[in-house]
Amino acid sequence: MCVIFSSAVLNLHVLKSQIDTMIEERKDFADELAAKIELAKSELKHKSDNWEELSHKVENSKTSWLVAGISSPLNSASPLPVRPPCYTAISSDGSQIFPDRHQALPCYLLNISSVTLTYGENGEAFLGSDPTLYYSDEDRFATWGGKKVPADAEIISLKRTLMEFERILTLAKENEARENVIALCDGTLILWRLEAAPPDFRDKAMEPFIRVMDRLRDLRIPILGYISFPGSTDVINALRVGLCPEKISLCNQCPYTDLPELPCSPIEGLTDRFLFSTILKPGEASPVFKSSSKILDTYGDHHIHFFYINIGEEIARIEIPEWVALDSELLACVHTLIFDQAKKGKGYPVSIAEAHEQAVVKGKDRDFFFDLVREVLVKSDVKVSVSRKGLSKRVPGV
Amino acid sequence: MKHIGEVVESSTKGFIARSPRVGESPAFGTFVRTDTEYPVYGLVYEIITGSKEPGRKPTTYDMSIAELRREQPQIFELLKTEFHVLTLAYRDTDSTRFTLSPIPPPIHSFVYECSDDEKIELSTEDFFLRSIVSSSNVPVDDLIVSSLYNAQVVRKDDAHYMVRMGKSLSRFFRDDYERLSSILRRVL
Repeated sequence: MCVIFSSAVLNLHVLKSQIDTMIEERKDFADELAAKIELAKSELKHKSDNWEELSHKVENSKTSWLVAGISSPLNSASPLPVRPPCYTAISSDGSQIFPDRHQALPCYLLNISSVTLTYGENGEAFLGSDPTLYYSDEDRFATWGGKKVPADAEIISLKRTLMEFERILTLAKENEARENVIALCDGTLILWRLEAAPPDFRDKAMEPFIRVMDRLRDLRIPILGYISFPGSTDVINALRVGLCPEKISLCNQCPYTDLPELPCSPIEGLTDRFLFSTILKPGEASPVFKSSSKILDTYGDHHIHFFYINIGEEIARIEIPEWVALDSELLACVHTLIFDQAKKGKGYPVSIAEAHEQAVVKGKDRDFFFDLVREVLVKSDVKVSVSRKGLSKRVPGV
Repeated sequence: MKHIGEVVESSTKGFIARSPRVGESPAFGTFVRTDTEYPVYGLVYEIITGSKEPGRKPTTYDMSIAELRREQPQIFELLKTEFHVLTLAYRDTDSTRFTLSPIPPPIHSFVYECSDDEKIELSTEDFFLRSIVSSSNVPVDDLIVSSLYNAQVVRKDDAHYMVRMGKSLSRFFRDDYERLSSILRRVL
């Protein structure tokens, strides 16, 4: 008898040749990138001398990309301020078990972590997380453009994000008597996904977020969003506006579309991270730029600004609300403490890393959760059925 | 009196307890008891400090403990200290029985160090030595040395007691003079 073995796993032989081709093509890209970085660097220096002119042009231009608002020379690097001996870092993260229609009951779970790390003579740590189960109609449905829609992964993720901000506020209030308190979030503070949402949904989501920001401002506790390995191009895009020969760049009326290469494209494809990695020494921060995301029109006093920092291992993007950006004392505090947090975490802020570790729901926790739901249902004598697909995934036969 | 541990794993022959704070376990060879309805008595024979999460391993920081408490306070929340206890006896309604407890201590029972009176009662006869000698997976010789030392401390160096226990040990190890001699040299 002839047995042909066919494996259900990934076919690595086929994949390997594709990987080889990809790497080969990337080699050429590396040389191209080096030339682009040199050009961007000289543009940065050139435009720094008359940054007001570029700032004005950026403000008046209408481009199809996000462009950094400029309010100081572009290539200035702020040295690392002295770290206060005592400070407190607070952070929160969340994870979820999404509703699974193959399971017995429609419900989902959000697990939100709390991390408070106090440094100095009275060094102490508080780490924890709280799970909450959502099953009522109010939680399972959302109003989206006047219609009642089931809460999908995106809506649940947004609810989770808002709960993380609420948790940060709770931690901030608990620690308001301490000196040098800083709140750290993983990822952006710009809720750009809401741009596509209808006004009723967006307003309902923005309201608690703005309330948290208002309270943090009143407490004078700076909040920051930490983006590791950022892919953003806001500053590069500002330089592209600078490269545009037009007095005011209006991309939808571009007169150069017939040329083989647009005047703004020689540095296209670069990210801000590449550029600032050639300028900033470890500990140094870039100037603060203003984000031009559309959703920020709804942020009021909390319009998001950002800067780049060399944390030693990489260039990170730090996002802060306007009241932090304009307060030199809070800005210096954010600069030095985010560097210290990243140093303590060996390249990634320790408070954010621990908030993630506390919140994460692993695959086996997920299975255990659904088993527990079923067990309680059976004990309560409630008749339920599980989909055959769900069962087949759990117990694959041979 | 503050408890020194909380039972996190329980079996007939012994149990594992977690210390309330990292690095603060009772010493090896300490006589301990649970706070259950029928207290279980035992000896600490293993102390382990490590990560709470199975997937995370402690890393090096090149800092003193005092510096770590100031600059990396979270690590003390991520570590745990657990101690393993060998069951020697249990307390029935009216007396101490020198045998395994019919029911192991419930999970989450608190663990206390034995009082001097309890230590004396547990070590008056050689039952505790016999329990150690007949156990597998415990460092038998060192546990004999440490528990006898602790028994002698509460007796304020009772020479007569040591002679009696020495005789018991010579019976247990009559076929292994080298081992007996090694234990006795360390006890005396």
